[in-house]
Amino acid sequence: MQFGLFFELSVPRPFTADAERRVFENALEQARVADELGFDSLWVVEHHFLEEYSHSSAPELFLTACAMQTKAVRLGHGAVVCVPQMNHPVRVAERAAVLDILSGGRLEFGTARSSTWTELGGFAVDPDDTKKTWDEYVRVLPKMWTQERFAHEGVSFSMPERAIVPKPLQKPHPPLWVTVTSPGTELDAADRGIGCLGVAAASYAEQERRTKEYRRRIQLCDPVGAVNNRVATLNFLYCHEDQKQAGSTGLLMLSVFGLLNAHLLSTREVYPTRAYQSLGNLAPRASSDDGSPGERRAVPEGIAIGSPEQIIAAVKRWESIGVDSINFIVNAAEVVPQEQVLQSLRLFAGDVMPAFP
Amino acid sequence: MLRGTANFEELARRAPVIDALNDLEPASCRQADVLQVMYEIATLHREAMLPPALHPTDPPLVSWLFYRCPASPWGSFSMAQTRIECRSGLRLRAYLVSSIVDNTTAADALRRHWGFAIHAGRIELHRHYDSTRATVVTEHGTILDVIVSDPNPLSPGDVQYVANVNLAHTPRGLRLVQVEPRYQVERLERGQPRVITFDSASWGDPRIEPVYPISASFALADIAIPRVRYVCRPDALAFDGTEAVD
Repeated sequence: MQFGLFFELSVPRPFTADAERRVFENALEQARVADELGFDSLWVVEHHFLEEYSHSSAPELFLTACAMQTKAVRLGHGAVVCVPQMNHPVRVAERAAVLDILSGGRLEFGTARSSTWTELGGFAVDPDDTKKTWDEYVRVLPKMWTQERFAHEGVSFSMPERAIVPKPLQKPHPPLWVTVTSPGTELDAADRGIGCLGVAAASYAEQERRTKEYRRRIQLCDPVGAVNNRVATLNFLYCHEDQKQAGSTGLLMLSVFGLLNAHLLSTREVYPTRAYQSLGNLAPRASSDDGSPGERRAVPEGIAIGSPEQIIAAVKRWESIGVDSINFIVNAAEVVPQEQVLQSLRLFAGDVMPAFP
Repeated sequence: MLRGTANFEELARRAPVIDALNDLEPASCRQADVLQVMYEIATLHREAMLPPALHPTDPPLVSWLFYRCPASPWGSFSMAQTRIECRSGLRLRAYLVSSIVDNTTAADALRRHWGFAIHAGRIELHRHYDSTRATVVTEHGTILDVIVSDPNPLSPGDVQYVANVNLAHTPRGLRLVQVEPRYQVERLERGQPRVITFDSASWGDPRIEPVYPISASFALADIAIPRVRYVCRPDALAFDGTEAVD
């Protein structure tokens, strides 16, 4: 089992210059500490216009800073939005290669297509097209990284032959992933031979079903590049010796995150389409959004909030259903003081990680 | 987290009165035409347009929802609503600004049992192969005129309708009444909307300024309007102010 941190870079209101700077500096400190403690990866999202929820609009820059301040931890683009209005595929390939070089070959490369109207509408993206453009990107990126010269005539872009430089340090290229929120995307990942980067809270049973199907199907894949046969899930981490303390602090973080997430404007809510079958984005909700507005979000199964013993038990369960790595959100809108976040990371590294050598 | 800042006492002056919650059977309208149009609106007043119990979306949105019901407990009727999309707690909701209904019996029932703020008017839906035009005319003239072009067939499950929150005087006091129509969609098309006329002042809030079209959908659906299950205090967040209705 491997462990990573997952950064949304959520910023509490009011948006003073200092508030944003503090979030970025705290996250960088968490990255340095995670590296020293032996965490395996740091994942950084790409989002645009999502006030409060995520100010991580230039993850390649944040990851570059992480690369310069860490030694061993792997760096995850989690994930690059593969629609041409936001990121031209050539620029994506170039930036990833540079980051791989600067980090000494530590890049993990996630792909996504965005799920909010706030983002897609802001870039005038047709939601019907994003699955197609994502598919085209994941098929051309390995070629851009491995072929000396590249030309393409496609759906979302075309280009005459050019040398796309530099090339990534890792050969043949950095591991490819796709974020999985909508049911069925794990099948898209398997069919293309790329990793399954879970970014939605799934139950044990649902994750087990997805993982089994992914493992079965990837055996028959038509790989877009080097096969990355791994399954990662998302979780929340707050580790404290005192269960009660862990619960009150950790569940506050979970509650704030859930509220920010629920207030995102999903594409499906405003734009009828076959392309977005779930509301997506970390916390899928019932399509009817039925019920009492007074209800709070239920605590997901297998959450890593609690004492080291409780967290070990939860992680063992995830491990038993075939999950390879867990990426943790460790704060939301800075509701957990930075020193407590770092203490939680240290306790996790000292008391939980050794149970998963 | 942004939340509404509207003075709900001021809003209350225009709120309808519900004599009793859940004193009737659910209503149903079979084979109704349902047109929903979504537009982004100017951000400047996004908090001021909602009661403190509700949270604005980002970007703020208006939805216009049209029903043309050939049969209902009150006879045939048409209805047009102007709503502001929002959140109540974790839930997706739409705050009713006001509505127009062309049948006085239906208007009276919808007002008294579900808290719809209703004015009288004429609603026309013109369906053509290449477009749909919807107009709403009241004593103030044409207060909404929208054209939906380029219809594109979709599956019935591809559309999402959001429940209303209607501000009304209830036996429990001034409350946001959650109205949750159920839609059994038979046919669905999506089109591109263009607003020709929107007289926001006549609908009840002159600050609603449509600025960017998102989508429109046209459905053939059975609509059921169930009894009210929840009401919320307009001055408290939903986690604290929600009350179940037995």
